[in-house]
Amino acid sequence: MPRFPPFGFWLASMDTSHLAEHAGTAGALFASVFVVATTTMRTMIPLRVFGILTNLVLITTAIPSHNYLVILVQTVVLVLNSYRLHQMLQLVRDVKKSVNSDLSMEWLKPFMTERRCEAGEVLFYKDEKAEDMLYIVSGRFKLVESGIELPVGAIVGELGMLSPSNVRTQTLECVEAGLILSVSYSKVEELYVQNPAFGFYFLRLSSARLFQNIGTLEQRLAEQTAAVSAAAPKPA
Amino acid sequence: MSDDGLLSSLRYLFADFLDEQDNTPPSLPDGLPDGASSVVSDGIHLLMDYQGAAYAKLYVERLQRFVGRQGVDAATFREIARLMGNRMAYEDAIRIAQLKLAEFRDSDGQVRSTDVKKFRFDELVDALPAVAADPVLMVLDKLGWAHRRVSIPFSTASRWGLRRLKIEAWLRRWRLFSIRYSEERAWVERWLHMIGRSLEKQPSATSAIVETATMVEGYGDRYRQGLADWHAIINGLAKPTFDGALPLQDLAGAVAEARAAARPDPRQVALKRAIAEIRARALGAGASAAAG
Repeated sequence: MPRFPPFGFWLASMDTSHLAEHAGTAGALFASVFVVATTTMRTMIPLRVFGILTNLVLITTAIPSHNYLVILVQTVVLVLNSYRLHQMLQLVRDVKKSVNSDLSMEWLKPFMTERRCEAGEVLFYKDEKAEDMLYIVSGRFKLVESGIELPVGAIVGELGMLSPSNVRTQTLECVEAGLILSVSYSKVEELYVQNPAFGFYFLRLSSARLFQNIGTLEQRLAEQTAAVSAAAPKPA
Repeated sequence: MSDDGLLSSLRYLFADFLDEQDNTPPSLPDGLPDGASSVVSDGIHLLMDYQGAAYAKLYVERLQRFVGRQGVDAATFREIARLMGNRMAYEDAIRIAQLKLAEFRDSDGQVRSTDVKKFRFDELVDALPAVAADPVLMVLDKLGWAHRRVSIPFSTASRWGLRRLKIEAWLRRWRLFSIRYSEERAWVERWLHMIGRSLEKQPSATSAIVETATMVEGYGDRYRQGLADWHAIINGLAKPTFDGALPLQDLAGAVAEARAAARPDPRQVALKRAIAEIRARALGAGASAAAG
């Protein structure tokens, strides 16, 4: 029975360099389409998705021509694009979840920077122009004018970003050393502009928190009115 | 997109590098007291030259807190406007370069001179954006050089000197991201806060609190000394009085007494002693009044 050489032998004995060249040209054309498509994206999530597709196509087309530099660069960009896309999708998911549950703003944490505060330090003064929102991680913080102590996990200044006057309504003082996270309004604006889905849910969340505040105030007013009525002398 | 639109987009994109910004000065606030318009206008132009329109707008916004406020007469308002303008145009290496260049330009290039100013390393680095300054300060701290003094010439005598001044003045676009700016911002806000509290708690001391801004001026040792003295007086006398912890009936007099005791001494021995005496007297008088 005749014996045939293995397939690899046939492939190795053929001149495949021209095939690789054609594949490279076709791949480069194909990749160009994705590069152009990526640049036409207006918002961040589609831009990242097309960026990832472009990276994959460029890596695939670089393999036959053994262009290791392109493979390396595109792999690094692919990892970066994937991470950023994951971050964006997670942000939208978290904000959406927050709107439907406890109205918390914890989803902003990954975009915040840490700052240590010492006792007696004033974080901002009443009437000062507001430029960032704060998240209390530890320590004790007090709103000076009202005397209200803010609990750990409280967010300060989230509505200031949307208010026309944009000024602090009270002074915030650190009573016991602790840690806060802060994010500038410009950073939140950046996220808002880059990502319409985030913007939509952020507006819903802010409105919900505003209505929650109004509800609390109405409840307090009702309690005070009831207390005044109870204290009033009853007709004989 | 029209050519005009494209051009304006490109201008916006490279605004930071082209030093192009909105040069429209903010308008004067409504309801200014008598004679305040010229002072506020001077302040606006000073800060337009110092930093730009947005910074001048911040000045106007800060002033608006006192327009029509009870207890703020025309003279007090004018003084707040004047002192705040001066303080917001604080002296850093960038400002000194700006002033030196202005002196050269105003003389049509006739005045050519060299001024040598002494700074501390950390003071120079503080004028840089925090992102760049923080690692440099860390290294300087490790080397023990942060407080080392260095003489910096500001010269219009040579072409190279002028070029250097222009580069230093150009750094103003990043001034608002600097460590120094965040400290200055906190200072101005605290000063305004103390004026507000004085208006509520002890209106007769308001002028004295406003005038404390003259304690903080210049750069280098003089600036640091003034700043430390100011905080000592505010923390030792004004704040506890407003908090109700110190029964000081004549805060204005106490501030004047403490200011008179301040000496150019980094340890603040005389000032601290004077503050302690004033506090002891006030607490003693308060205890007697409570007992009597």
